[in-house]
Parts: sequence; C-alpha cells; structure tokens
Amino acid sequence: MKKLFLLLIICLGLSAADATIDVVNKGLVLPKIIVQDATTDFANRAMQDKFFKLVVGDLKVGSAFEVSDRYYTSKFDDSAIISADERADLIYRYALTQLGDRVNLKLKVLNVKTNKEHFSSEYTQSADKFVFLAHKSMVDMARNLNLPPIDWMDKSIIFSQYTAPGKSNIVVADYTLTYQKVVVSGGLNIFPKWANKDQSAFYYTSYIKSVPTLYKFDLKSNNKSKILQSGGMIVASDVSQDGTKLLLTMAPNDQSDIYLYDIISKNLKRITTFSGIDVNGNFVDNDTKVVFVSDRLGYPNIFATSIDGGAVEQMVFHGKNNNSISTFENYVVYSSRESINEYAQKTFNLYLISTKSDYVRQLTAGGVNTYPRFSSDGGSIIFIKSLGVSSAVGIIRVNENRSFQFPLRIGKLQSIDW
Amino acid sequence: MKKLVLVSTVAAALFMAGCSSKSPEVDMSADANKAGQQGAMSDAERLNSLQAQVQNVYFDFDKFNIRPDMQSRINQNASIFNQAGNFKIMIEGNCDEWGSDEYNYALGVKRAKAGKDALIAQGIAADRIEITSNGESKPVCTDKTKDCDAQNRRDEFRLLP
Repeated sequence: MKKLFLLLIICLGLSAADATIDVVNKGLVLPKIIVQDATTDFANRAMQDKFFKLVVGDLKVGSAFEVSDRYYTSKFDDSAIISADERADLIYRYALTQLGDRVNLKLKVLNVKTNKEHFSSEYTQSADKFVFLAHKSMVDMARNLNLPPIDWMDKSIIFSQYTAPGKSNIVVADYTLTYQKVVVSGGLNIFPKWANKDQSAFYYTSYIKSVPTLYKFDLKSNNKSKILQSGGMIVASDVSQDGTKLLLTMAPNDQSDIYLYDIISKNLKRITTFSGIDVNGNFVDNDTKVVFVSDRLGYPNIFATSIDGGAVEQMVFHGKNNNSISTFENYVVYSSRESINEYAQKTFNLYLISTKSDYVRQLTAGGVNTYPRFSSDGGSIIFIKSLGVSSAVGIIRVNENRSFQFPLRIGKLQSIDW
Repeated sequence: MKKLVLVSTVAAALFMAGCSSKSPEVDMSADANKAGQQGAMSDAERLNSLQAQVQNVYFDFDKFNIRPDMQSRINQNASIFNQAGNFKIMIEGNCDEWGSDEYNYALGVKRAKAGKDALIAQGIAADRIEITSNGESKPVCTDKTKDCDAQNRRDEFRLLP
C-alpha cells in the first residue's frame, strides 16, 4: 500500500506542468512582508497601480519572503503598527512622486515588532523605465538585509522576437517584460548577446543579401559596426569574462564549427573540426574550456574541449537530444528534448550539470522549455517557455526551487540573453 | 548620331556582359533606353518562368540527407538550372519550429549543403551555388500539426539574376 501511495505521489509530481523539481527548502518558513503605498498626489494612477504589482512580484521572485498580495496604504512617516488581524514581520513602504518626465521612489523597510527601520533609500528614473525603480530597490534591500543576492533583477534582458516570416526585432526589456524597447528592426535580426557586463553593447546576427553578418550594437551611441561575415551561419554564442574574446559558430565552408575570435587582435581560430554539426560554444572553467553542442554521436549532445581544441569529452550521458546550453563557472544548463519522435507530444526539459562532478539536476518537469541562460550571479536561470503560438520568459531561482513566467504579448521569442 | 552611339554602346555592353546566349540584335529604329528596358524584362521574365518550375525538397524530422523520394525533384531542378546557365542559385535550408536555437540554424546549413551536393552530382557547377540557413525563421505553415512541421523542413532553391 505504501508503495502504491508513493507511486501515486511520484506520478502526480511528474504531471505537474511547469513545476520545478523540488529537492530542498521543504517546510522552510519565510518571514511575511506586506507592501504599503504611501504615495500622495501622483497623477498617473495606472503607473501607481502597476508599481504596486511590480513590487509584490519582485518580492515573490526574490523568494526571501512570504508576500501578501493585499494593497495597503499608509502615510510615509506612520509607525509600523498594523491591524491585529494582519500577521506580518516586515513592511515595504514606498512613495512615488513625479518630477517632470522622471519618477522618484522613496522607500523604507520597517520591522513590525520593533517599529525599527531596517533599510531606506531613494531613487529617480525616467518615467518610461519606472519599472527599474522597483527592481533596483529590491537589489539594494537584499544586499542591506543580507538576503540571497538578486543583483540580476535590475539588469536588462535582450531578446529577438519574430514578427513575421523572415523578420524579427531585437528588444531590450526588464526581466518581467513590463519595459520593452525595440533597438533593432527591419529584416531578420537574431541571436543577440550582451557584449559586456555593464550591458552597454550587444552582438547580433543580421543578413546582408542572404549572407549572415555579425554586428556589434552600441546602445549609448545607437551605432552598429560590422564584425565578421560567414556563409551559412554566424552566431556569437558566448563572450569571455573580460569581454575580449568571442566564441562563434560559423560555417564559412558550408560546415558549422566553433571558432574563437579575439576582438582586439581580430585573430580568428577554429576550435572544432568535426564534419558534422558543432554549435553553441560556451566558455567554462575560467575560460579555459569550451562546452558545445555536437551531433558527433548521431544526435545532438553536450561535449567539451580545450580552448585550444584537441580531444573532445562527452559531458552528458542522459537523453538523445540535448542542446541549447549556457554556462556559469563550472555549471552547465541545457535543454533536452524528451519527445520520443516527431509524433509525440513535444516536451523539452532543462537540466543542470557540473563540469567537476557527476551532479545532474532536472529543473523543469513538463512543457516546452528551451534556451536557458544563467543570470550574472549564476543563481537564477532564464529560459524561453513556449505556450502554443506565443511564448513567455521563464525564471528559475535555482537554490530557492521556484519558477516564474512572464508572457510575451505579441510575437514569438527566437533567442534571449541576460 | 548621338542616338546611334548610344544604341551601339548598349549593344556592346550586353554582348560583353554575356547576359544572353543569343547574339545581340539591335533594332536601329528603336529608342535606345526602351530597348534596354525590354532586354532586362526579358531576362526577368525568363527567370520567373524557370523559378516557377523549381520545386522544394523536403526532409525527415531531425535529418539532412536527401530522401529517395526527393531525388526526382533534385533531378528536375538540376535540369531547370542547366537551362539557366547565367543565373546563380541560392539554396535556403529551413527547419520546423522545434529547437529555437543555433542547432536548428546549423541543421538548416546542413540541409542546404545536402541540396548543393545533390545538384553538383547532377552536373551543376559548384561556383554557381550559394547556401544559407533560415533556421525556423521562415515557416510556410504555422499550424501545430506534424504535416505543418513537415512542410517547414525544406530546401528552397532561388534563381538569382
């Protein structure tokens, strides 16, 4: 009977769409936080309402608190006393003010029991980017309260969005997709990749008379510069930690291989020489090795080699269709197509492995989850969640075992970088 | 006199460029500019007429080899391209929507390369053929069915002027 019960529990767990695989944190009690709006005389009611939802959403994604959805108001300098029927440990209290075309956020975090202020700060941002006020406050709050770091939260994501056959835009957005700005449009623009840690530029592929061409786009000057061209395909798969080297997938002789390109010396070196498909090179182990996808076993799987090329090591011994990798230090996340054949229901799950051990962890348990990308601190993974004709950005908090989705309202995601 | 010089120049240019297998025939009474336009249209019409006969080649799920049932299409396309010796050929490899990543684009390259190799085997000069991959970016069908996926796993052959 116990065995039957256990089997039932396992089956229920596996059938739960979008669930992350829960292996730790069971039974952990998180402190409860409520959000109080102390804004007065703010003309844009829609923005004010949106900001409250953003703060609640950010607190949930931060995963450090149990968050109340209820909308509270207060005066900014009121005490932390709340009604007896509310149970809360902390208050996130904020006030918005409009300063011309900019918005100011003033906030403080109060301890309900002691009425003491744990943290306070103030930020100003252009109105079109007001979402980053909430995100920035969360990053600073986590840092000041010694919570798990969420420095990725006020970083931008960049994605390519199909708008019509053969046409796609490149869009810069916040992680919730609330803020979106089209930065490249016209023709097919794909595989955007941040060029540096401060996200001031990115690489992407476009086509000149059907010839794939790699560009670098500077967001400060809004200028693009041509880097390289290659017949067949060219993609900037990864950028080294210091931003001076690129791992490219190119097919100059109708043959896709991994190349290392030095931005400064402009030296191009071929790393893989297999006659089949080698793509998606990613730096790993302090930029000394390259993890990549290859069909050298007759199906796509994950392999590694030295940055100088040479012997190739198989990294994954599970699944028959593993691709779309991203790396952080010694960790690799990849997407595995688990449909038996073309007629079966499409299922792509994400897995996390270490280059230093046999560690394997399944991160998703159903649906179509592709294109994983690590956050800058490696603690979170962003991915594309396909939802029929549309798609969403998914975020997995690796250590907290939580996942969230933010649907894209128009178009379909081609690729994403964080 | 000016008109005669202009007509002669156009005729010489056409001959030197080798745009047609026929010897240029110049109507001395025709307006030089009009004659040039008619020649260009003729080439364009010929290209369009041949292009309309070219057929796509389809691939199996996750594969890039030319299926036996697609070989007749390769043969027919090669025959058409042999009639159009002055046109270049662009082969575009395409994939279904499953796998929105670099691997799909590389698979598109492989499919285009397979089409190129098959045409070369039928006597088409390699230097006339260019290839590219559209990955999954140019679907001809967007329904969520296996038949639709099959239509998207294809090589398209385009004659270039």
